[in-house]
Amino acid sequence: MNTEAQSISRALNIGPSILGTYRTEIAIAIAIVVLMLGVGAFIPAALSAGNFANILQAAAPLVIMSLGVLLVVLTGGIDLSVGSVFSLTGMVTALIMSWGWGSVPSAAAGLGVGLIFGSINGLLVTAVGLAPFVVTLITYAVAGSLAFIVTNGRSMGIGAPDFWLLNSGQLIPGIANYVLFCVAFAALLELALRKMTFGRWFYAVGSSANAAHLLGVPVKRTRFSAYVFSSLMASFAGLLTVSYILNAESTAGASLMLQAIAAVVIGGASLFGGTGSAIGAVLGALMITVIQNGVNLIGINSFWQGSVTGIAILIAVLIDRFSHK
Amino acid sequence: MKLSKTLIVAAILTTITGQTALAQERKSVAYIAPSLDIDYWQWVAHGVQQKAEELGMDYVEYTSENSPAKQMDNARVAVTRGVDAIVIGPVSSTSTPPFLNYLEQQGIPVAFAGIGPQPGLTNFTSAVTANNYETGIAQGTYTCELAKERGGNQVGMLSLPQDRENAQKYLAGAREAFEANGCELVQILETKGLTINEAVTQANDLLTANPDIKAIYGMYDQAGTGAAKVLETRGLVGEIGITVADGSPTTIQLMKDGAIQGIFFQEAVGQGIDATEQVWKALKGEETTQNLALVMPLVTADEIDSDKAKAVVARVFPQN
Repeated sequence: MNTEAQSISRALNIGPSILGTYRTEIAIAIAIVVLMLGVGAFIPAALSAGNFANILQAAAPLVIMSLGVLLVVLTGGIDLSVGSVFSLTGMVTALIMSWGWGSVPSAAAGLGVGLIFGSINGLLVTAVGLAPFVVTLITYAVAGSLAFIVTNGRSMGIGAPDFWLLNSGQLIPGIANYVLFCVAFAALLELALRKMTFGRWFYAVGSSANAAHLLGVPVKRTRFSAYVFSSLMASFAGLLTVSYILNAESTAGASLMLQAIAAVVIGGASLFGGTGSAIGAVLGALMITVIQNGVNLIGINSFWQGSVTGIAILIAVLIDRFSHK
Repeated sequence: MKLSKTLIVAAILTTITGQTALAQERKSVAYIAPSLDIDYWQWVAHGVQQKAEELGMDYVEYTSENSPAKQMDNARVAVTRGVDAIVIGPVSSTSTPPFLNYLEQQGIPVAFAGIGPQPGLTNFTSAVTANNYETGIAQGTYTCELAKERGGNQVGMLSLPQDRENAQKYLAGAREAFEANGCELVQILETKGLTINEAVTQANDLLTANPDIKAIYGMYDQAGTGAAKVLETRGLVGEIGITVADGSPTTIQLMKDGAIQGIFFQEAVGQGIDATEQVWKALKGEETTQNLALVMPLVTADEIDSDKAKAVVARVFPQN
């Protein structure tokens, strides 16, 4: 009896703690379920396993990119270059593959794009002290331009016969890699942010860089690593997409930058820094994808997707604001 | 001695005058693209350049970055640079009146390639476009045929944005064909980004919402690639027919693989060639054709390696 009471007590303590920590995320999760049920009321197939797989596949690049953007946003910065880095990664990977290189070196070269642009962003923000908006606007333009230059604007097919495995293979039997990557990255990032000292540095820098500095947090190094991580995630998302459609396009990531920022904001992150979670970013990305999926399934003109997404962001921000009062 | 000096001076003067006359005779053409971020406009550019070289014309290229204001700036820059003729793929048909008025004042012949001017305008040399309405009918008829061969009559469409005049004409033609042939167009999804990734998502959603679809009408090249990818993923290659407009090396390969059954080729290179030829004729004072609506020829999987198909493809995209 005593043991039972203790376990109930523990459960009661844990419950409110989780509710308190993930209040925004739970609200978004409920909103996603409601949205899906709403679409399912019109189109029953929306609730089929096949459609869930479609949504997950469509969401995967955005989820991964959003996790990277989240880290930058946590530090109070912004990364506008992710869409262009996404596109350039695909083009570089396809180009190198067309020279006869295998999947692994080509993908490594693609990830190199992320590493280079992330480092440039990080250095210009931390060492030179330029505003993140300006820096990433510059790299957005440069990477976007290079995405055309490397192949003279031509889209390219993927030659390597095994490259599809990156997205659709199964490192763990029964789970497609794109799902595995999303879950693994999100879980690791959430764990790092919540439980590890260096993870908490991102919140500290975003809340008050000066205070964090006085407390001994390596502010510049933390910011630098956020930009590198963000670009690497954008690159990886680009690789995943190219692996899925086996084609690289110069404009592939054009719409993803705003979607990734929107996903992070929907997920409860503040653009002023200091708040947000990996789970929230994942849910934000899922919500955007579910909206797009629902609009298509119901047959609403796709031009409305932007408006619907905008309203979703507004609702999410309002929920977040009022739930913290 | 004096005579020989006079002869040398005369020879030099003759040479210089002759070269100047030659330089004056060498004409130049500017191609103003709406944007160069999609293959199609690059291929039109290739056609213009190819024909310009053939005719001994200088070639210069501008991009309007989808902005009517930039398009107008490009026209002024081209005039300042002294070009003799302009071939343009306008940002939109509605952006063309001020553009044409300005170039008319400058006395520069203008030919359109790909997208025509605003209906009702006549102050241009030639409009070389695809006959979207007739293509819509032909593609709609063939798509319906594919659906019926596969035991159904439901078709879906991956469309260009319907705020474009060419998309509206494609759709009008396709609707007419579906009605005449007893097919039902169950859903239309319009693209925003013209990317394969978006087309994959839309084709997936199309088939989830309408599992009885037996054929997909792709109004642009990436739609065909996206739809083919989805059928491959779902193990439905061949069970659902795909037709596509435009054509590219990617969709040709997909047709050879059996994923796409027919391509209605839009002759991008050919439009550039024909438009350049029209402005050249205008410069020479020869007769021109104001409206050249090119038929988009259908090539099916079984004839893709024929000489006829190769001739068609040569006018679609650069072969090197």
